[in-house]
Amino acid sequence: MESIDMKQYKTHSNRIFSLVVNLVMLFSLFACLTPFLYMLSLSFSSPRAIINNEVFLFPKEFNIESYRQIFTYPNFFHAYGNTLFYTIVGTAISLCLMVLFAYPLSKNKLKGQKMIMKLVIFSMFFTGGLIPNYLLVSSLHLVNTRWAMLIPFAINQFNLILLINFFKTIPLDLEEAAIIDGLDYFGILGKVILPLSGAALATVGLYTAVFFWNDWFNGLIYLKSSQFPVMLFLRNIVTGTSMVGDAAGAGDKSTIAISIKSAVIITSTLPIIILYPFLQRYFVKGILIGAVKG
Amino acid sequence: MKHGKPDGVALSNRTYFARYYQLYLMMVLPLLYFLVFKYVPMFGNILAFRRYRPGMGPWGTEWVGLQYFKRFWSDPAFWRAFRNTLVLSLLNLIVNFPIPILFAILVNEVRNLAFKKVVQTISYMPRFISTVVVIAILGELLSPSSGIFNILRQKIFGSEAIYFMNDSKYFRMIYVLVDTWQYTGWTAIIYLAAISGISADLYEAATIDGANKTQQIFYITIPSIMPTIMVMLILNVGRLLSLGFEKVLLMYTPDNSMVSDIIDTLVYRTGLANQNYSYATAIGLFSGIIGIILVAGSNTMSKRLTGDGIY
Repeated sequence: MESIDMKQYKTHSNRIFSLVVNLVMLFSLFACLTPFLYMLSLSFSSPRAIINNEVFLFPKEFNIESYRQIFTYPNFFHAYGNTLFYTIVGTAISLCLMVLFAYPLSKNKLKGQKMIMKLVIFSMFFTGGLIPNYLLVSSLHLVNTRWAMLIPFAINQFNLILLINFFKTIPLDLEEAAIIDGLDYFGILGKVILPLSGAALATVGLYTAVFFWNDWFNGLIYLKSSQFPVMLFLRNIVTGTSMVGDAAGAGDKSTIAISIKSAVIITSTLPIIILYPFLQRYFVKGILIGAVKG
Repeated sequence: MKHGKPDGVALSNRTYFARYYQLYLMMVLPLLYFLVFKYVPMFGNILAFRRYRPGMGPWGTEWVGLQYFKRFWSDPAFWRAFRNTLVLSLLNLIVNFPIPILFAILVNEVRNLAFKKVVQTISYMPRFISTVVVIAILGELLSPSSGIFNILRQKIFGSEAIYFMNDSKYFRMIYVLVDTWQYTGWTAIIYLAAISGISADLYEAATIDGANKTQQIFYITIPSIMPTIMVMLILNVGRLLSLGFEKVLLMYTPDNSMVSDIIDTLVYRTGLANQNYSYATAIGLFSGIIGIILVAGSNTMSKRLTGDGIY
């Protein structure tokens, strides 16, 4: 039996513990959200209030002028459209190739499967490197074409293994029944496997879409300015190598109002922020079923 | 594998392919793609031993042996980048390896389930935000003229504004803290999954024995997730040379280049900006080889320690 003092001490220490836990959680919520709130309030504030350092978590002299402005810039519109294109087409190509690759590779006993898996896994740890990749893309004449954004990254090994692991969990009985019903392997893939793979496809599709949405470096090395994605456009505004308004070129950092920069940041991140809470469970699923295993 | 049959029945080669040719047909396009885009560049590294001449193909023109390797070996810029890469990686490992473990343990202790869910959801989100956006926001927050950080410092301490993003003193700290911000919640998922596998009986027994929360963490939670911690540590050591290249490139300014020039940015600059393709390939190949040695070494270590590796 413990003494009453001891019990009190314990409830007391547990109470302090849970207080600390909750404080840490509140702090991390604050840390994760504040940067976005700050950008949001900057983008809705007047340039006067920003220059006088009056803005923090809430907009001062609320207005939507910066949003109205960026939507009149053809460059921004173009870049946004480019990003949408890269994301949609890139994800579609990527999913097609990965599904066609992952389904045969999910069959452990298929001849040659083991060897191809070894090739896949080795390529995760040793890559060609920047220059050989660049020279490959350029010798395929993809530089300055939109394909340079889409093709070199169509298969991501992590996502591929995630799909393979998922396909392996589908019971073989279903497949055998389908074969008896006279379906061939393309039919099985289309009519049996894929309808059961919604969650895995959503997970992989989301990872891929986020990759294409966020990509800028490949745009920088492979594309001309009319093909730039919105993230590269934003990067160029931030580094001052391009102006928001007219064509890309030398620009002055100070000419771009902070509120406009913030509006670009918010609009280019908005799809992810808005869709994220609804799709969050798919994002998390991936990291748990995608253990890197052959 | 030679005699492995999908249905366990011995088949001649001809019947085997008649039955399964569609599976191979499916793979043709992706496999071809895979070989071209993952393996051709790997062999493209041969350029490190050959002289590149513009317009004469991506494989270079003549064999020059180790010339480019010797050149970077005696190049102070290379050694600076090498040192910067190591220092930044180690610093990142020391700070950002334990934090997600701690975070996961604390999240697990949140009693209010709705609050727990909110914290988890929000803390994963930064992982999906573009590096460009992260660095752009950072630039605003830390701006010497209008950044909230400098404004608060001025108002509270009356201190002078610091141009954080341009100052080599702060580069490493900022890099590491941005990683903390962006990846803590996400990395914690793995530890949370491990924690949720711990039997509730253990905690019950400990409570009956009079262990308080902190004791339960040290004597139950941490020992139980030790295997996961070890595997993650080994994975991280294997990745030691692969820093967030895009992030470093975005944070790079001539003023902080003393500490922010890492191997990857050096390869980018000498290769793509100055078009010294062979020289840059040699540097890239060197760091790639060290990378694979680290991965292989840490995997062997993992197998020895935990009986399980990553491949």
